Amino acid sequence: MTPDKFEPLDPVIHSQVRLAVLSILITARHADFNFLKQETGTTDGNLSTHLAKLEEAGYIQVKKAFQGKKPLTTCSLTEKGKSAFAKYLKALESYFPAGKK
Amino acid sequence: MDEMQAKEEIRLIKAMLEKTKRATAESGTLFMVWGVLIALGLMGNYVLVYFKMYDWEWLNWVAVTVIGWVYSVIYGIRKERKEPVRTYIQTAARHLYIACGAGFLLVGIALPALDVYSHEAIVILIAVISGILFFVMGGIYEWPILKWFGLIWWMGALGMSFIKGIGIRTLIFTVLFVACYLVPSFILRSKYKKEQASK
Repeated sequence: MTPDKFEPLDPVIHSQVRLAVLSILITARHADFNFLKQETGTTDGNLSTHLAKLEEAGYIQVKKAFQGKKPLTTCSLTEKGKSAFAKYLKALESYFPAGKK
Repeated sequence: MDEMQAKEEIRLIKAMLEKTKRATAESGTLFMVWGVLIALGLMGNYVLVYFKMYDWEWLNWVAVTVIGWVYSVIYGIRKERKEPVRTYIQTAARHLYIACGAGFLLVGIALPALDVYSHEAIVILIAVISGILFFVMGGIYEWPILKWFGLIWWMGALGMSFIKGIGIRTLIFTVLFVACYLVPSFILRSKYKKEQASK
């Protein structure tokens, strides 16, 4: 396969943490910040930066609220995010030789 | 980006999907609570029939249902507040529980009280709804054994319809209940504990 047949990957998703976040949110209606931090194995600051990028691109919606006295940040995937994730998966397929997906 | 990196990304996506699945596995708590309540209801029913206190039978089942619903609502609200992630599968399962709970209320209490059908038909209809509950649960959590329990409930419903007499029907229902409700509830619970332990 020649490189020109590779489909370009969305740079917003093409990062380990952001891809991990979207992979969680694709099956979830919403997930809270601590869950995403725990499952992606990242730090508060790092995750916040990645979430901000995804939110800026319109791929996720971030809601900030309070649960009792504790702040609670929850994230959910937008329609644009779902579509971008599907496109990303399709683009990833192009990196595999035919019949070896 | 090359094939190796693409494979690594696919592996990451699969790992995240698996982690989310584990974090939102069905705990079986509500199944067990309802199982214990219905078992108590069946025992209460037996005692009332033994002492020929037929007029109190309905109250026995109303008490079981009210306690079950109040517990389920409080449990649901508390769980929703605490849960860090909510998947579409969980939402589907919750709607299934509510639908079957409403079905049990209607076919077990409301409709017979309104004389829509004889009390003898209650166990058959309860078995049909139990079959739906287990079959769909097996489908959404991708656990085939639950589907088999669903099929057994439906076969039991069909079998009970050929047998006359509320006593023998209730006995068959009790056997079905222990084998196809309590047993899968305990299996579900132990599967959940194993999954949580392996996290």
